[in-house]
Amino acid sequence: MGGMVLKKRIVFLLLPLLLLLGACSDSASSGNGTGSGRKYDGKVVNLGYSGPLSGPAALYGENTLNGLSMAVEEINENGGFVVNGEKHYLNLVTLDDKYLPNEAGANAKRLVQEYKTPIVYVPHSGGIFAAQVFNMQTKFIIAAYSSEPDVTKQGNELTLRIPPKYEIYLRPYSEYVMKRFGKKIALLPASTQYGKDWAKKLEPVWKELGGEVVYKGSIDFNKDTDFFTIVTNALKKNPDVLFIGGPSEPTALVAKQARELGFKGGFLVMDQAKLDEMAAVLGSWDMLEGAVGVLPLPYSRNKGNEQFIDDYKKKYGKNPPSEAGYHYYSVYLFVEAMKAAGTVDDPEAIMKHIQEGIDRVPADKRIYDITKVDEEGGLVTPFRMGVVEKGKIVNKSDEYQ
Amino acid sequence: MEIFVQQVFNGLTVGSVYSLFALGLTLVYGILHIPNFAHGAFYMVGGYITLMAMTGWGVHYVAAVVISVIVVGLLAVLTERIVFFPLRNMPPLQDKIAAIGLMLFLEAFAQLVWGTEYRTMPTPFGKVVDVFGITVTVQRILIIVTAVAVMLILYLFLKKTMTGAAIIAMSQNREGAFLAGINANKIAMLTFFISGALAAVASSIASPINLVFPGMGHLVILKAFVIIIIGGMGSIPGAIIGGYILGFAESLGGTFISNDYKDLIAFVLLVVILTFRPKGLFAKEVH
Repeated sequence: MGGMVLKKRIVFLLLPLLLLLGACSDSASSGNGTGSGRKYDGKVVNLGYSGPLSGPAALYGENTLNGLSMAVEEINENGGFVVNGEKHYLNLVTLDDKYLPNEAGANAKRLVQEYKTPIVYVPHSGGIFAAQVFNMQTKFIIAAYSSEPDVTKQGNELTLRIPPKYEIYLRPYSEYVMKRFGKKIALLPASTQYGKDWAKKLEPVWKELGGEVVYKGSIDFNKDTDFFTIVTNALKKNPDVLFIGGPSEPTALVAKQARELGFKGGFLVMDQAKLDEMAAVLGSWDMLEGAVGVLPLPYSRNKGNEQFIDDYKKKYGKNPPSEAGYHYYSVYLFVEAMKAAGTVDDPEAIMKHIQEGIDRVPADKRIYDITKVDEEGGLVTPFRMGVVEKGKIVNKSDEYQ
Repeated sequence: MEIFVQQVFNGLTVGSVYSLFALGLTLVYGILHIPNFAHGAFYMVGGYITLMAMTGWGVHYVAAVVISVIVVGLLAVLTERIVFFPLRNMPPLQDKIAAIGLMLFLEAFAQLVWGTEYRTMPTPFGKVVDVFGITVTVQRILIIVTAVAVMLILYLFLKKTMTGAAIIAMSQNREGAFLAGINANKIAMLTFFISGALAAVASSIASPINLVFPGMGHLVILKAFVIIIIGGMGSIPGAIIGGYILGFAESLGGTFISNDYKDLIAFVLLVVILTFRPKGLFAKEVH
């Protein structure tokens, strides 16, 4: 009798844990569309999106989605687009994957089966890899937003990598901080696969330039509540430079805690974190003095992006992060590619006409000066580098290219 | 040596937050046998209320904490009334599902009202000071002092007042407490109030060294369950000791064993402790 009661207890303790997992994976997975085609007279092309819309990475997901929905709304309000003599409108179908690869894979499948989306946006490398398992068979384009080089190294012909590979940042960023601060670096990236890969590729470059790696660690931004412990340990080795990265806001806290613990050197910032978002958390640029990272979009205003920057600010009340800009641009790119291909539902044909799409994107929608797609299926974006000098961000893109 | 002292201090800081947070969880479990999965959401709401009181109404940090404690305490009472009380005669599974539902609701609610942005909580105690060669900020000292003070007050309340004694009595033996004429309703509400208040204190003192965002409860809720299992479900000293054990495992283990495996250290500890004391360190023998 007693044994049964105990058994029952254990079952009741385990059940909720399972339920918790179940609940996590089922919540908010309902699809919803924006810019519904009903009020327009023409055919509707569904664009699929699977990204983190809840959980710790929800902000990032929202940023990517903001860029997409802005472009979709604009295109629809301006009368859609004509492919093969027929008028088409866009409809965005979004699903939440909570940053989980398996969820992203399932979502992509569902988007293609239920909504016949020729293109599915996935803004994280794990989810991209999951979707790459079957996208060639079920035929859909993965609009891959990740600077992870491996995303396009698998020979997957229906993957378009939107941002540049992070490899291009390693040497110039290293050269700058090493010259300004010294040769000893401590590595403190996010403990994601992405962060670890970044660190692994940075290490040989840093050593080749004559530097020394004095500390190797990583930070789990999903679990760690405080970074004092690991930052203390890293600073014990007297580094001149800290390599940090992850979501902008907690990454900013790592920088802040390093300063609190007396660190005077520079920061090499992984491309996932945005310098301007970090400064927003810290209230000023002071603590980021000597940081090098990707130049934030608003610091390179030109004819191609100023309209977008202003519109975005008006609509969302903040500067557009780069992921919003890239996503916004990519919608225009795909629309032009569809026009050039003369089809909205043949992913292979659309993919073949990406280069023509790039060439035809209107001048005021060229958020980034993208000129071509490389043979791997990655968009080629000019190198971007910003550094914080004397409390100001300075554009060093041309100098270090 | 210096590094050891610094890490002991770091362990104390996070351990204090963990203990405070786990205390609320263990109190509710001790009395109502509900593993309140929504406790992390109370923590999150507490952070937001403090932040909103400071930035929205311009209230001083300390006053904002007090407001937050009251609001989240009342919120916890409200959830007891409209969610857990109607389920009191149902099988225990219903409580658990309700708790998970509550957690999802509060998180979605926070995301709707306050957005997905990470926010920073300003603190008037951000100054960096050197104490005996270790670097601390005033806020971190405040965390430890506040946590210890709150625990002391809670201890005195439970041991020295009639109401406190009633809570203890109910956690020791429900039926016995009823027979002695203790009003179960009142005690349940009071316990939820204390639990919510503790979560609000924990998040309000921890947020200035961290960030406020809808998912912040997840950072602590899993750890809190580890803590109260280590300490013994429903045990008050267990939650306190367990919180500090976990804090030190993270700081000292992360320093002297391996940072990559510091979560592993906590779980190995859990396995070892449960091997020798299957009900946790301070499990009550009455069950």
